[in-house]
Amino acid sequence: MKKSKLSMRARYFVEGYSFIGLWLVGFLVFMAVPLGRSLYYSFQDLQVSKGGLLATFVGMEHYRAAFTTDVNFLPLLKSTMVSTVTQVPLILIFSLFCAILLNRGLIGKTFFRGVFFLPVIIASGAILGKLMDQGAANLPIFYNQDLYDKLHNFIPGDILKSLLKYAESLTLVMWDSGVQILIFLAGLQTISVSLYEAAKCDGATAWESFWKITFPMIMPMMLVNTLFSIVSSFTKADNQIMSHILNVVFKNNDFGYGSAMGWIYFVFIFLVLGLVFLLFSKSLGATEGRK
Amino acid sequence: MLKESVKQVRTTNMEHLSTRLKASGKLDRVVKRSLQVLNIAFYYLVILSLTFVFLYPLLYMVSKSMMQVTDVADATVQWLPKQFSFGNYILAWDSLKFWAGFANSAIISFGSAVLQILSCSLIGYGFARYRFPGYGVCFILLLFTFLVPPQTIVVPLYLFFSDLGWINTHLPFVVPSMFGHGLKGALFVLIFIQFYRGMPKVLEEAARIDGAGAFRTYWKIMFPIAKPAMLIVFLFSVVWHWNDSFEPNTYLTTPDFYNLSQRLAMFYGSNNQAAETMSQMTSGSIGMAPTGLNQVMAACILTILPILILYLFVQRHFVESVERSGIAGE
Repeated sequence: MKKSKLSMRARYFVEGYSFIGLWLVGFLVFMAVPLGRSLYYSFQDLQVSKGGLLATFVGMEHYRAAFTTDVNFLPLLKSTMVSTVTQVPLILIFSLFCAILLNRGLIGKTFFRGVFFLPVIIASGAILGKLMDQGAANLPIFYNQDLYDKLHNFIPGDILKSLLKYAESLTLVMWDSGVQILIFLAGLQTISVSLYEAAKCDGATAWESFWKITFPMIMPMMLVNTLFSIVSSFTKADNQIMSHILNVVFKNNDFGYGSAMGWIYFVFIFLVLGLVFLLFSKSLGATEGRK
Repeated sequence: MLKESVKQVRTTNMEHLSTRLKASGKLDRVVKRSLQVLNIAFYYLVILSLTFVFLYPLLYMVSKSMMQVTDVADATVQWLPKQFSFGNYILAWDSLKFWAGFANSAIISFGSAVLQILSCSLIGYGFARYRFPGYGVCFILLLFTFLVPPQTIVVPLYLFFSDLGWINTHLPFVVPSMFGHGLKGALFVLIFIQFYRGMPKVLEEAARIDGAGAFRTYWKIMFPIAKPAMLIVFLFSVVWHWNDSFEPNTYLTTPDFYNLSQRLAMFYGSNNQAAETMSQMTSGSIGMAPTGLNQVMAACILTILPILILYLFVQRHFVESVERSGIAGE
């Protein structure tokens, strides 16, 4: 047998690095360097000229501009934020509900599961934009039944309007939750059946075993799904911040300002995700009993 | 007075009935059985109505795309057009320049998907099985990569690719995929990590004892069993690349290189403008009359048709794979 010059341990490390080496190179080229450059650009004023880009240092000017002179940035940031904060909890609740429904043995299981993932394929990107513009992204039930007139007698108009708007966005929420349903479904499958059987022997109702078994067990997937939903809602195709940045960069050729906005957005997303981690860190604990 | 007595008679009747049933033990069974039936009926009602909501966009598009303008404007026509017409499809096919768009979309989607399977699987295996110095840092960087929105780094990446002369080629999509990056690359690495972590180590040990090297063990033993994870990554990657418009809009700037979803957006834009000028000219009397809606919907269908067909074939295995691959993690 050939004798290796390296010790077992060193060889093990080298093997490890060679497996992820590709990724490390990619990280440097496609992530670290661009990130560094975009941070650098965000402090510069970039002019396109024949010899390439001309950079002049402007300090925090772009950041200040984003918060003071740009009339679009802050409102767009706010609306993105509002839609994320309202939709993510809805997505979570709804997808958990669907996953539990689908987890039961029923006739046509595969069909239903296939259907529930369908909107991920159909209703994303350009198609969704199109459906939304045609008003087809809202189910007609909220319009057709004259719900507004009927409920107007009981609920004051302003509240009712926002409530109905919320209800209308429900279809979008449902179509957005395909991936999350799958993740919850996979999570539900890992909970061992014996836990439910034991609980049933002890006289627990379905309601109780949901809150005492399913919910704590599904908590890690809750975190995964929350993160996934937040990230995807921040980077969705119909996200307006995104198109605003693109417009600034490629229509106005304002690379510096675009970079600065990108960074503000990035820091902002990180703050939100940090908050989520904080919220979840307490409830992530007892998850034994998994298969 | 009368009401009360009637009520009393009723209750005594009911009591009588119930005691009789109870005596034979029937009531319990009847109640239980009917509750069960109700439960199941309610369950199917809920799931079927949800199914409708999920199928709604597809049904809507198919239905509208078959209509002629008169049907679209006709309020009595809900789902089934009075006259089926496939003319919209022909028109949409031509103005999308379907084959050119399809070729662009297919190269981006399938090329990236295959490369991402190869690279992300390799990287995921490394992360799942090796603990080297700096492992923690690398893992955090991986998560970090997942969270960085593409908008933040779009400017330097664009400049970088344009320096290399890659604008209006497929290289900005394909090359990062080779390195386990690209669209949602970090997520795919995470999926493979989860999968490989769930595999018993004995499998590799057996191969190692037989004298296989690290890479050979991976390629011969571990890569082939990762089929469930591969299927997931493949479908996600294809679908997300297919529907993505951010990166194509950035790197593919001349109409010749547009992929299907970009062409669709353009198709729609021209139609929408026509409708708007129409409604302005008639001072809004047409209002929301969706001029060209049927054609737009036909174009939509054509755009997603390839991945719909793909999904039709892999759907069954796909959902099973999600369950088996431990995508959900710990």
